[in-house]
Amino acid sequence: MSVYEKTFTLKDEDHTMGNAIRYMLNKNPQVALAGYSVPHPMERSVNVRVQTTGEVTATAAMRDALLDIISVCDHVHDTFDLAIEEHGEKNATAMETDVAGKGGGSKKK
Amino acid sequence: MAPTTEPKQRSPSIVVQELTHEKIRFALLHTDTSVANALRRVIIAEVPTLAIDLVDVIENTSCLCDEFIAHRLGLIPLLSEKAVEMEFPYDYAGDDESVTDVHFELNTGICASAETVDVTSNDLVCYDPRVAPVNYHPGESIKGKGGAMEFEAQAAARGPDDGPDIPGVVIVKLRRGQQINMRCVARKGVGRDHAKWQPVATATYRFEPEITINEELMATLTEEEKMAFVESSPTALFRYDEATRRVVVDAPDQARSYGYDGECLKKAEELGKPGLVDIRAKEDAFHFTVESTGALRPEEIVVNALKVLERKMEVTRGELDILEREQDEQVAM
Repeated sequence: MSVYEKTFTLKDEDHTMGNAIRYMLNKNPQVALAGYSVPHPMERSVNVRVQTTGEVTATAAMRDALLDIISVCDHVHDTFDLAIEEHGEKNATAMETDVAGKGGGSKKK
Repeated sequence: MAPTTEPKQRSPSIVVQELTHEKIRFALLHTDTSVANALRRVIIAEVPTLAIDLVDVIENTSCLCDEFIAHRLGLIPLLSEKAVEMEFPYDYAGDDESVTDVHFELNTGICASAETVDVTSNDLVCYDPRVAPVNYHPGESIKGKGGAMEFEAQAAARGPDDGPDIPGVVIVKLRRGQQINMRCVARKGVGRDHAKWQPVATATYRFEPEITINEELMATLTEEEKMAFVESSPTALFRYDEATRRVVVDAPDQARSYGYDGECLKKAEELGKPGLVDIRAKEDAFHFTVESTGALRPEEIVVNALKVLERKMEVTRGELDILEREQDEQVAM
């Protein structure tokens, strides 16, 4: 068994992680093949298969994929907080103009 | 780590379209289905909340059997802000009960009313001031006494709710002479173990439609045909502009509710003009609707889901490190 190809079994996980990891692995040009499967719908585990082109080990590719997802989560978290804030501000100003325009501001046909 | 992914996929953007105390609508843009789906799945199945999990029956002379009532108690959504500070009962090995359990009591006393009485979530007495059924108004309980004011004040501090007009969740109905006396323990859990721990009623996303009108072909239609075409879509997708006499795509906000029913495409064929419009789902724009059960605020649910997802990845990365170290040791031997 070479270090460039591996099947990882993630216990107590499902499509949520399997599919996200598979996607991130496939984004990596150093990965030759990546796929996942759920061996049995009632068993909570997923198998993730990684084969690399030989430039990096399968474990390293896996780690990169995980780090990528972590950074996406981080980013979405920050963006979400910002969007909530923005939405709050927009609503506050909309309410003000609504009061000024005696509620006619949001008229729709 | 080489920046192997396109920066676009790494940095999705978000626009919040609607936010109330029980619902959020937002658009997640510039990302992939796998990310959107992971978020949706985690929201449904892996954001922890509190729900009644253990019930001690002391007295039950009602028309429903013990386990039936226990099940109904479990399904009552509880305000779960405290869940993040608590431990899962199956993970916690310590002796401090207060980190896993929240106690409730449901004691109606013997029903004295001539008419049938509803026992609702308002009859639950909570021993933790931060945990209560949603829309909790103990003043509305059968006994309607003591401690109620304190809770009303706390409920008001939590933000807008719909007031006592919203009746409590009916647990069972009692007739004269019947009685219920139970002690309940609420625990932290996740939706994949039991639906009672789901923080949401619905969490869905839909793809944004990209609508292009073939202007050349559209120009060949008569005014009536254009009107008929606009009318053909059950969701208001198009608008006939009187001034320019052209069919235009209605406000994009409207278009978002398109259900991919294809009615307007059928109409185009009926008019003998297939390819009049082209509607395809954008693959990188997701319009989420997350409707809370009331256990957590909708924006809190999304943020918690992201944290859960991130922790999952970090745990797996940790496992990967251990695996690698073990293998290195084996090689060294």
